[in-house]
Amino acid sequence: MSQKQEKIVKNQAMNQSTRAEIPIFLSARVPRSPTSKPMLARVAESMYWMSRYMERAEHVARITQVNFNMLMDLGEIAHSMQEKQWQAVLHILRLDQSPEAQALFASPDRNLGQHLTEFKTLNLLNKNSLLNCLTKARENARSIRESISAEMWETLNTLYWSLLSDDAKQRLEESPQQIFQSVIMGSMLFQGVSDQTLPHGQGWQFIQLAKYLERVDMTCRVIDTLFDVLRSNEATMEGPLKNIQWMAVLRCCSSIEAFRRRHVGDLDPQRLAAFLILDKESPRSIRYCIRAAQKAVAGIATAVHPQEIDPAERILGRLNSQLEYAETREFTGVGLKYVLKQILDNTAESASAIQRSYFLH
Amino acid sequence: MFKDYAVNGVFDEMFQESGQTRPHYDPVFRQLSNLDQAAFQRRRRMADLAFRNQGITFTVYNDNSGVERIFPFDLVPRIVPAAEWQTIEKGLEQRILALNLFCKDVYHNQHILREKIIPPEMIYSAKMFRREMIHVSVPNDIYIHVCGSDLIRDRDGNYLVLEDNGRTPSGVSYVLENRSVMKRVLPSLFESYSVRAVEDYPFNLLQILKELARHPVDDPNIVVLTPGIYNSAYYEHSFLARQMGVELVEGKDLIVDNNHVYMRTTAGLRRVDVIYRRIDDDFLDPLCFRPDSILGVPGLMNAYRCGNIALANAVGTGVADDKALYPFVPAMIKFYLQQDPILNNVPTYVCADDKERKYVLEHLEELVVKSTNESGGYGMLMGHQSSAAERAEFALKIEKDPRNFIAQPIVELSQHPSLVDDHFEGRRVDLRPYILFGKKVIITPGGLTRVALKEGSLVVNSSQGGGSKDTWVLEEQR
Repeated sequence: MSQKQEKIVKNQAMNQSTRAEIPIFLSARVPRSPTSKPMLARVAESMYWMSRYMERAEHVARITQVNFNMLMDLGEIAHSMQEKQWQAVLHILRLDQSPEAQALFASPDRNLGQHLTEFKTLNLLNKNSLLNCLTKARENARSIRESISAEMWETLNTLYWSLLSDDAKQRLEESPQQIFQSVIMGSMLFQGVSDQTLPHGQGWQFIQLAKYLERVDMTCRVIDTLFDVLRSNEATMEGPLKNIQWMAVLRCCSSIEAFRRRHVGDLDPQRLAAFLILDKESPRSIRYCIRAAQKAVAGIATAVHPQEIDPAERILGRLNSQLEYAETREFTGVGLKYVLKQILDNTAESASAIQRSYFLH
Repeated sequence: MFKDYAVNGVFDEMFQESGQTRPHYDPVFRQLSNLDQAAFQRRRRMADLAFRNQGITFTVYNDNSGVERIFPFDLVPRIVPAAEWQTIEKGLEQRILALNLFCKDVYHNQHILREKIIPPEMIYSAKMFRREMIHVSVPNDIYIHVCGSDLIRDRDGNYLVLEDNGRTPSGVSYVLENRSVMKRVLPSLFESYSVRAVEDYPFNLLQILKELARHPVDDPNIVVLTPGIYNSAYYEHSFLARQMGVELVEGKDLIVDNNHVYMRTTAGLRRVDVIYRRIDDDFLDPLCFRPDSILGVPGLMNAYRCGNIALANAVGTGVADDKALYPFVPAMIKFYLQQDPILNNVPTYVCADDKERKYVLEHLEELVVKSTNESGGYGMLMGHQSSAAERAEFALKIEKDPRNFIAQPIVELSQHPSLVDDHFEGRRVDLRPYILFGKKVIITPGGLTRVALKEGSLVVNSSQGGGSKDTWVLEEQR
């Protein structure tokens, strides 16, 4: 074969191969879109749970810390209230049915507070203990390390190891406050680091969504449970004691300073509930969180299917409108309970809608 | 801290037999001698903390609590002068070219068997030989894209190849992390040297993976396939994905449809072009290999044979790093490249050969016997450290299944000063350089120096209590 002939044959071969490959290349079933890079469903799910568990850990730490402090303030009288108060805390954290927790109540030990603190912090039997929440947050983070920033991982991992260190148990006995505080600050640091190091794309939106849904859930349960306890104590309690307890409710939601500035020195329960549920500006209020969660879902949905309204977005949007037009007069007694139940049901529903739309492909 | 340091009559990386330091170690020796013990301990703790907080760990199997362990890091760097490195580089390049040609040959025309260089029964009895790959073409005829060959030094300081890892060699993440921790903890040591950088490994790996894509015009979708977070090298899988900026996927994230591979995303399915897989052949595709594997992707092999997905490394490369075929590598180099090997093998007896088996059985006490299908320091007999009962047991095993065993004389690995409690002692080391094979061969300057931290031990595997060192390849003097 001459050189020229050879060249022609080669060219033909090349043409053929490109022609044959084009249809595969432009696979009709899955178009490529260079603008938005979809993420793995598994990664999205892990982002979501990492953030939820981190937020949960923060609430567990704060609620336990506040309660611990309040019982110290109440002094003598506290003795009679101790059990009731800790039962309430367990109820908020969905632990009241746990056999291990009930065993602690049954024991005649006077140091109930301390045992429960340990139970809530380091006990691995307890599914919502700080250590368990952080372990789960970290496990999720570990499986998506390539998708989160190195700083986020290091923040979370450092916090995790600080609770696992050899002296953690001793530190918990000496100064439980410090451990709780380190978890609260660690969670906030983690969210701050996420905001500043992770691109605000889909992954970040899932983190936001999870954080706010978890916060709504916890806040609802705090209000619901503690209002019940306080109402049952009403007859027996005097003014200052009552105030201490109402303040504790605000502290559990990390809203005391914001509330004081809004309603100077007035601890009226109805106002308190209205603030925690409806305040437009406080990032700890339920309505703020619902709006933020809605925005996050909308952000995720536009990248995935811009034409449709996402089912979760619809649920959260409706809930948001409902809260926008709510009357504070409803926020007493049965009315309050009803509102809270509605919020809880709706957020749970939106969470499962997200699961269906994004995690189960 | 060097006060009672003993050279022990083996090759020492830092000291000559006279007790003098080798010239390229002078500055390190001087600085370390000036450092007092407390200062050194402080740095060691700093390094440990850095590893822990960044989660640079490996997973130990069969351990209930604390499944993640830090790979012990020894702060004294191992230094390889430029000239030595040049030899290593040339030798490894030659070796990977030959091994790769061997893979291609074995799965196509089998010239090497026809010419009777290697007995066919050695190939067909290899567990890692994949019939499914016969006459399957792979992109650019490259099978072993990533290779890690273990080098040791004998008593005279000659580099020898102990084994090749042509399947899914791990450890490269520690090379990079060791360097970054070293820079953080002992920056002053770098001042007297110009050390060649290792940081571009992930970049080079990515380029090689890109070359494999069938349609290079488009931005190919490359993923790293991991068995999951419980795998011992999970950290590395995630590290490489992060450094390359590609998705890390598990088997369940992938799906094969109409012989194309897709990944499941929040927006539905998305095509995948290249998979850097860190799963063994056996687990890759339950329809083709082990049916009980839940780590793999059903249908992947069909997509691979259609050429719709590229895998690195190719399926079936295990035949090239089978320990019973290792003694034939010098012959492969001669056969395919018409060259003499630059790096020598450790002398090896193949138990499948009647004469050699006889010798092995008579000299068990002086030999190391290795199972051809195991790695990580499992399934080994160290002749001189074994009891008569252990030797008898191994002799039985060998006679029962000779193909499964090889034996080598005990090679005294070189030693290197390592921190033991509060002073330095000599500990045995090896070196695993990482070779990338694409349009050209790129060998990362350095590699993983593994060190047997137990006194007198010759086994450096991390699963057997080994640690690692930063390895410095020096820039050529100008």
